[in-house]
Amino acid sequence: MTLIYFDNAATTWPKPESVYEAMDRFFRLSAANPGRSAHKMALTAEQEMSRVRLKLARLFNAADPNRIVFTCNATDALNIALKGLLRPGDHVVTSTMEHNSVVRPLKALEKRGVTATKVAAAKDGRLEPGDVARAIRPETRLIVTTHVSNVTGAVQAVHDIGEAARRRGLLYLVDGAQSAGTIPVDLAALPVDLYAFTGHKGLFGPPGTGGLFIGERVNLAGFDTIKEGGTGMRSEEALQPAELPHRFESGTPNTVGLAGLGAAAEFISGIGVDRIREHEIGLMRRLTEGLRRIRGLHVYGPEDVEKQGALVSFTADGWQPAEFGGVLDQSFGIACRTGLHCAPDAVKTIGAYPLGTVRLSLSYFNTMEQVDAALAAIERIVGSVGPEAVRLRE
Amino acid sequence: MTNRKPDENPEGLKRYERQILFPGVGEDGQRKLLRSRAVVIGCGALGSVIANNLARAGIGNLVIADRDFIELNNLQRQILFDEEDIAKGLPKATAAAGKLRKINSSIRIEPIVADVTWANIETLIAGADVVLDGTDNFDTRCLINDACVKHGIPWIYGGVMASYGMSATIVPRQTPCLRCLFPRAPLPGALQTCDTAGVLGSVVNTIASIESMEAMKLLIGRGRRNPGIITVDLWEDIFDTIPLSKREGDCPACGRGDYEYLAAREGVHTTSLCGHGAVQVSVRPSGKIDFPVLARRLESAGKVWFNEFLLRFSVDGYELTVFPDARTIIKGTTDEALAKTLYAKFIGA
Repeated sequence: MTLIYFDNAATTWPKPESVYEAMDRFFRLSAANPGRSAHKMALTAEQEMSRVRLKLARLFNAADPNRIVFTCNATDALNIALKGLLRPGDHVVTSTMEHNSVVRPLKALEKRGVTATKVAAAKDGRLEPGDVARAIRPETRLIVTTHVSNVTGAVQAVHDIGEAARRRGLLYLVDGAQSAGTIPVDLAALPVDLYAFTGHKGLFGPPGTGGLFIGERVNLAGFDTIKEGGTGMRSEEALQPAELPHRFESGTPNTVGLAGLGAAAEFISGIGVDRIREHEIGLMRRLTEGLRRIRGLHVYGPEDVEKQGALVSFTADGWQPAEFGGVLDQSFGIACRTGLHCAPDAVKTIGAYPLGTVRLSLSYFNTMEQVDAALAAIERIVGSVGPEAVRLRE
Repeated sequence: MTNRKPDENPEGLKRYERQILFPGVGEDGQRKLLRSRAVVIGCGALGSVIANNLARAGIGNLVIADRDFIELNNLQRQILFDEEDIAKGLPKATAAAGKLRKINSSIRIEPIVADVTWANIETLIAGADVVLDGTDNFDTRCLINDACVKHGIPWIYGGVMASYGMSATIVPRQTPCLRCLFPRAPLPGALQTCDTAGVLGSVVNTIASIESMEAMKLLIGRGRRNPGIITVDLWEDIFDTIPLSKREGDCPACGRGDYEYLAAREGVHTTSLCGHGAVQVSVRPSGKIDFPVLARRLESAGKVWFNEFLLRFSVDGYELTVFPDARTIIKGTTDEALAKTLYAKFIGA
């Protein structure tokens, strides 16, 4: 039984060979502390960090690489943005499709007098930009939405939502955890002011890497830091340096991971996000059409795969998602994730709360044969008698 | 808890009069007991009898560790507990310590309400002169064996089921250790447990008393130690001692010093499942579970159902879903210690 890895929305696996190699090479030969000491190896490390920033900037079409701040992951980036920008009395417009990395910081900010309106998404997880615009109040400061839902794969109309934000002079923060590396993101063209991403999912980097893009509309004077410390520059000053990226990058960075992320960004740029997207849409079309044909299965997400990232959720009559996932793993060697996916609001929105769903999530390295094998397995499991069904009969 | 040294008690040695009269114990033996530290791991049927014996016999420092709370079906054999304890919802270790302090206030009794794991066992047994097995699962026994062999602490193994039981005395680097006797843990789900095959109180008392006596002989340094595996079947009237073979040179624990359970490479592991109100229990090494066999065994304890992919078992408001490699999702709790208890009770590992 060879492993079929369909849990790429949790973290992608495998990574491109060049990522493993870059990390090994950097760790052995160049992993001095960048921006601190002035010896040759430290300078090499610093140059490597600058190159990684540049590669990411090119990938997302951000004009100024220094506007990309390295973070530990998307959660870290979202916390930096939400907690640094919002003040008591501020109002936020968000949605019912958010991951806990947005839900929980906003809940914590309630104690500091920040309020939020959660705009309800449709059952497939898509938000109506008009609904978002209508939720804006005089005291609204920021709109934050996910780009691609980690539960249904629904791709939000970030362009239209961003336009609505601009019309009202608001900032727009996008949670790109599931979009970076899997669907084209052009930060020069999109009306997005802050874009949070992680390195270890669609970008094919290692865990512990990520970033926050901070656009020119963001007033840095009103953007507090949530952590301060050594930056390797202006050590004589007691206050945290004001300039990007140093303002938000205190402490020794995860250089080894970032070296891997640089190689990953290069891998993706080499293929082109368009081609990755095309490959994944092909797989998703086969997968979702196949799933929708299986009787007793409920498929969640947009009908049109063009409006869906490379992941889909389903539930099966008579089966608890955790059990279904357990059988896929144990009897068929298919790795997936089940449950709430750290997004309880989203699972409620699609009507699969509290047990959640079985989620299959793909990457560029998955194949049509794997999709067919998964469909055959799911059909076989559904065809067997489910535990709940038996109980009902007793 | 008193800070007085146990043997400075005003009553002195009077309460141990009858025991001191026995030449094997004597006054010097009693003083040794009072200066000793014994750790009882697991305070169910075996553990409560052991703790009772040792507290009355005047083991000066007694540590009782258990993760469970008392249930009605425990009272048939777990001698330290009563209906009031259940009404109060007391953990077994706390209830046992309370009872024993009333019986002997001159010794130190330390209840530990915790799941004994690779992370805490070395702290738990530090400074112990002897460790006694009151557990209901092989996984914890292997862990006790690893920790005791590593730290050179003697321990007494004991196990009971239905009408039979067995005990062995393990002195690291002198006798074979548990892993010499059982190099591989039985595969999960392969054996009966007290919760599927039942257990008689008398056999519990017999094995626990053998364990207690072995501990006292070790602590005093006199008497003839159990040289093998004592096996008893009180229903069939069988009393036997299987001689122990030599220590195994390639025993992972006492031969190679590779403590697989202490390093958490082997054994039972739990993960709380996000959003499911459930805990997943997995076991290494794992094997292929025979669903029809397991189903037949579990039938007596609750409702059981299986198909080619999984086995579902409902009992006391909990639902156990068992997969072919013995991984089990336990619904109805998010408490990982309770999940391990349920796993040990019904699947067994």
